[in-house]
Amino acid sequence: MLIRVGSPESGELRRALSILRLFFVLMLFLVMASQFFVSVTIAEVGEDEGASGLIDAEEKVLSAYLAVLEAEKTGANVSSLLVQLNEAGEFLARAHVEYRLGNFEEASHFANSSRNIGMEVQNAAVELKDLASSEGTQHMLFTMIASVVGVALIALGSLRVWYFMKKRYSGGFSKANL
Amino acid sequence: MNVEVYRGWFIVGSLTLMLAAAAPTLTLFINMPIGSERFSELWLLGPDKKAEDYPFNVRVNETYRVYVGVGNHLGYSAYYRVYVKFRNQTQPLPVASNATPSTLPELCEFDFFVMDSTVWEALLKFEILGVQRLNGSMIVKSLSINEITYLIDSFSAWNSVRNGFYYQLFFELWLYNMTSQSFGFHNRFVGIWLNVTG
Repeated sequence: MLIRVGSPESGELRRALSILRLFFVLMLFLVMASQFFVSVTIAEVGEDEGASGLIDAEEKVLSAYLAVLEAEKTGANVSSLLVQLNEAGEFLARAHVEYRLGNFEEASHFANSSRNIGMEVQNAAVELKDLASSEGTQHMLFTMIASVVGVALIALGSLRVWYFMKKRYSGGFSKANL
Repeated sequence: MNVEVYRGWFIVGSLTLMLAAAAPTLTLFINMPIGSERFSELWLLGPDKKAEDYPFNVRVNETYRVYVGVGNHLGYSAYYRVYVKFRNQTQPLPVASNATPSTLPELCEFDFFVMDSTVWEALLKFEILGVQRLNGSMIVKSLSINEITYLIDSFSAWNSVRNGFYYQLFFELWLYNMTSQSFGFHNRFVGIWLNVTG
């Protein structure tokens, strides 16, 4: 189709083209704006996840520490558990730092590592506490029995020695007098 | 010889032996008070793990090392936190008289657990990364601690008495409190003065 310049058809075409151009610019703007809003939304989700991950890790490490303390009270050797807990503490501190710096993904990664170690330590501490508790009961029973037997033997032995000496020296004395 | 004369001594001797035999069991039920004082130690050592050669005149982009340590004498395995803070001459330090920590935000922290009668020690490497000099003042823009960069923008005026731009890197000791179920300032802090020479 041939369109002459200055004809009514060419004016309509120009209008249509300008509308199309406006539409294109609007679309471009919307696409760019949507990317901005999407990135803001993703960042907010990341921050929330980072925060909840940190809180979760803190709780797990704390629970593990309390379990270790309980195990320690029953007499268990908790030094190896504390070494593991220190690893969890390092990760937790790093997670706090990364979170403050706005590196939420890194924060979440370190918080997860910390939480996992915390859970491991907590389970190990509970087992260790049970073991130490039963060992402690056995040790207590053995100590009590040993003490009772010891006291009884000393009492009986003392009486026997006393009567033996009394008999021997009293008898000796009376014989000498005779 | 009349044995009856020694009766008292014999009874005392026998009872002493019986008490010695019963002692292990008695200790299970009687908690003897421990006379030693409960406390924690916090210290800072130089690059050779000695109380000397602490970094003082610091240049930009040079790495300095110190060791921070904590000793536990609380009678149980303790959960500690050390906050690392940076201040100029006018910003607040902790107040020991009422056990209040500094209100400055921490740059980084150490979370760790220490068994009773043992110690914990960590290396801290720091580096002033960027400074800006203005008329008679300096702004430390950023600082690296253990290879992590912190933006701080800390201003310091020229100290005409001591001739330098003075800052302090200090460490606060916090302890997890079972009763309050939270960390509380343990009223111990150490720090080193730094003369940032640019």
